[in-house]
Parts: sequence; C-alpha cells; structure tokens
Amino acid sequence: MKQAHGLAENSIGQPRQAVRDADERLAPAKTRQRRRVIWLHLPALGFMIIMTQIPFLLCVWFSLHAWNLLTPAEGFQFVALSNYTHEFFGDPNFWPVIVQTIEIVFGATAAAVIGGTVLALLLDRNFWGRNVLRGLATVPFLVTPAAVAINWKNLFLSPHFGIIDWLVHSVLGFPIIPWFSSYPLESVVLIIAWEWTPFVMLVILAGLQSIPNEIYEAAKVDGANSLTTFWKITLPMLRKAYEIALLFGTIFIFQTFGEIFLTTSGGPGTATMTLPYYTYQTAFISDQIGLAAALGVIGVIIAIFAARGMLRLITEREAVA
Amino acid sequence: MNNTKKVWSNLGWTVFTYLIIGIFIFPVAWMVLTGFKQEVEASTTTPLIFFRPTLDQFQLVAQSNFGAYLFNSLFASLVSTALALLLGIPTAYSMVFQMRTRSANEMLFFALSTRFMPFAAILVPLFIIISRLNLLDNLLVLTLIYTAMNLPLVIWMARSFFMDLPLEVLEQAWLDGSSTFTSIVRIILPMSAPGLIATALLAVIFAWNDFFFAVALTYTEAPTLPILVSTFTSNEGLFLAKLSALATAIIIVPVALGIYAQRHLVHGLSGGALK
Repeated sequence: MKQAHGLAENSIGQPRQAVRDADERLAPAKTRQRRRVIWLHLPALGFMIIMTQIPFLLCVWFSLHAWNLLTPAEGFQFVALSNYTHEFFGDPNFWPVIVQTIEIVFGATAAAVIGGTVLALLLDRNFWGRNVLRGLATVPFLVTPAAVAINWKNLFLSPHFGIIDWLVHSVLGFPIIPWFSSYPLESVVLIIAWEWTPFVMLVILAGLQSIPNEIYEAAKVDGANSLTTFWKITLPMLRKAYEIALLFGTIFIFQTFGEIFLTTSGGPGTATMTLPYYTYQTAFISDQIGLAAALGVIGVIIAIFAARGMLRLITEREAVA
Repeated sequence: MNNTKKVWSNLGWTVFTYLIIGIFIFPVAWMVLTGFKQEVEASTTTPLIFFRPTLDQFQLVAQSNFGAYLFNSLFASLVSTALALLLGIPTAYSMVFQMRTRSANEMLFFALSTRFMPFAAILVPLFIIISRLNLLDNLLVLTLIYTAMNLPLVIWMARSFFMDLPLEVLEQAWLDGSSTFTSIVRIILPMSAPGLIATALLAVIFAWNDFFFAVALTYTEAPTLPILVSTFTSNEGLFLAKLSALATAIIIVPVALGIYAQRHLVHGLSGGALK
C-alpha cells in the first residue's frame, strides 16, 4: 500500500517529490478538511505544555534564584543571573564537564557511525542467514541500558572477573587494566557507542537499499571499480542517511544517564560527567536547585539549537525537492 | 577460474560478517550465558564456557521483589504508550490532512523540541512540583511522564506513516461525508496499522528502558525493573550470576518487541525520510 504514488521509487536524492504531488492532488479535499474547526491536536498540545513547558519555565525561574535545599533558612532569594555567572566563571567543574560532554557525545557518535557503516555494508550483501544476523545486530540498541551497562562493568571491564581483562592479562600477558578508573571516558564512550551502532546501521542499511541498482550497473558499464563506486556513488547517495544518523545520534546520546550512573557515577572525580548528569548531580546530590536549574537551562539552549538545525535540514529539503 | 575466486571471496566475507556480529553481540550473549551459571562459576578468573546450565539464578530473581517491579514496568510502559497513541494519532492526522504545511511544521518543531530538550532540565522543576504535591513514588505520575516522553515520538512517526497513505481512499471517504472520527478509525488506523504497531512497540521500549526518571522519582512503591538492577549491586554485594539472570529477564521484552518491529523502525524514526 505504500507504493501508492510511486513513493517506493523515491530515492534519497529526490525525497519529497511524490509527497508534493500528492499534496496538489489532494488540494480540494484537503481544503474541505481544513474548513472544519481544527482541534484534534489541542489535547496533545496542552499535555505537552503542562508536562514540559511549564516545568521549563519554572526551571528558568528557579535558575534566577539562590535555592539550596540543605539550607532552608536562606530561603528562595532572587539573584538575577548570578547562578549563570557562577557556572561560567566560578565553578571549576563547569568547563571540564562541557568538554567531556562534547568528547562523549562526539566520540560515541563518531564510533557508532563508523561501526554502523561497517555493519551495514557487511549486512547489505546477500548471504545465508542475513536476516537473522540483522536481527541480532540490532540487539545492543534494544537492550535496557541500565541492565547492560552494569554487566559491562562487572562481566567485561572488571579487573577481577572481566573477560576483556582475562584476554588482555591471562592470554596476551599484559598487566591488568582497571578500565573504569584508568580509562573512564573511553570505557563510557565504548558502551554508548556499542548501544548506538545498531541504530546507525539500520539507518545506513535503509539508505543503501534505496540506491537504485541501475546506477551501479551504469557505473559497471563505465568501468568503475568497486572502490570508486563506493566513494563516488554510494557515499554521496547516503548523505541524507548520515545526516539523520548523526543528528539523532548526537541528540539522544546527549541524554545518556543510566550508563554513566551505573558504571562510573560521573567519576573518578568528575571525569565522566556530562552536562545532564552534572545537572542531576547538582540537584539531587548537592541539593543546589538554583544552580541545577541554571545548568538545565544551558543544556536546553544547546539542545534546542541542535534540534532546530536538524529539523530544518530535514523539512527544508522536503519543501525544496 | 575467476568464478571460483569470486565464490571464495564471497564466502570469506560471509564468514567475516558472522565473526564481527558474533563479537558485536558477545556482551549480551555472555551475560545471558552467565545468568544460567552458579555464582561460583560466574566469578572465576578464567571465563568458564562449558558448565551445567541451571535456572537457580532465575528462581532467586523471581523470589526477590521481581513481580512488583515487573508490574510497575508493565503498567508504566503500556499505559503511557496507550495514552501517547490516544493523544498523538489525532495530532498527526490533523498535521497531515488538515493543517497548513507551515503550522504543521511548527507543531512538529514544538513536539520534537520537547523530546530533544535534556530531561534533566524538566526533571528538577518536576521533582519540586511532584514532591510538593506529595506525589513522589507514584506510578501514575511516572506513567504521565513517560507519556510526555513518548508523545513526540508517536506524533513524529505517525505523521510519517500517514504521509504515505494512498489519498484516493481518504478523499472518497471525505466526499462521502464521513466524519473525522470515522475516517481515523475506519481508514487511517487499519491502513497504517503496521507502522503504528511499530511506533507503539518503540514507545513501550523507551518507557521500559528508562532509568533516569525512575531513579529520581520513585523509591519503594513505584520503581521499575531497571531500578531493581541498581539495588542488586548496592544493597546485596555483587552476585554476578544473579545480576546477569535479572538483566536477561529484563531485556527479553524490549529485544523481542524491537526485532519484531525492526522493519518499520527506520522509516518511522527518520520521519519518513528513509524507507
């Protein structure tokens, strides 16, 4: 049923032509639909405002106040922007946390993109058992992060019972490495990248499948070898797939929490703290609600810019095509 | 001559693929395997591959509070998904078939920006509100939060599936004067059922897998399964086999649902940009 308006042939290069055609054909009926009072989206809109916008406005309001739950006597004092100036200039943890956030988000995204591409190329070939392997390869994306992160810590990267250390130490003869204290950032990045690799793989696979076979045949006729074909045809045609993988990946990886909480708790020291984690820590461990609110607002501003940029990329191309 | 070479190279790549996927999912496989071991066998310095599988650890898990946590997880993820579908499907319908492109895009931006903003920023005020209302550790509150978390996802994915519907059928229905409610229930839902089911399953997975809200907003009454994992390590020392059995029991649901829904996930998650 999806083939209805030739959408199936819709390749990545000209994504939305079919939809626009449909829009034009639909015009009279759609206008009639429009004349009705439109309220269907209002319950959802109201719900989202209550659950996210009002709390966010409160967050902004809190961020302008000094409020420490441990010292209730000091109360709820208006301090204008001093929570923000404290974070920017007075908090020794803030900038390292920002740098680590960037390292974790981009490190994990980059690793997932490379790993996902390799898996997608391998699983795009036709071979016996392909569908089973594809299903298996998505598993790290589906598993409950908290359940698996704790096992990464105890079964794999643990210096006592970890199978990786067994390999490194007992088999290869290198000294035991306490991964989470010697390489905390790398260990966390490894777990997150492992979880997100299947997502990238699925997106790239979909991209690969949407490249029409005729293009490859034409390239073959023109005598292009497989490497040239990959660089000159496959990769450019995957552009949209990569955009989606990158932008979704970064935005969701930015939210990572359980994996850090259950492996390093942000440590050692603050070595694996990301901005959202540091916000949580400031609110729920240090009870500094005012400062945590300011950190939250900073995080929202960063995320909104990223999200709008991404959506503009996707929807604008729909409109232009 | 050339042909044999090709057959061998093909076989080589296939073997390589099996090997890579084997390594890739080894962490999960090893965890599942460890869940069937005795505690002594799980914490050996040399990993034990051959052992007599036992269900002891799963029985221990079942004897802990597992049932209560399972109920909370099921309730929160199923009810929040149902609510998100109830709110999200009419919204997506309105965006695709009623609104002007520009307002539909604005609605989409808004919905998605609520999903993309760091949860930490809304958690702090939510925590304050919820504790003032004495609603901490309340399963319904957690469910509503998961609804808010999944609603943008439902809108985003349902929109992409609705955009692919053949319009002739819908137009005919509208010409025949069928109401919005009838067109949604009689036409839209059946025709986009596979995509919507995938959407629902993904929403269940997201709620099921959440750790962030559950750890901050629940204590003893409403905690979900991922929280049970963290109590297993902090309160009771380290029992690797039991922990692995618990983790295995928890991941069955999302893995099964996700593999089932796989075909539609990419299309929906990419907002229809990728088939």
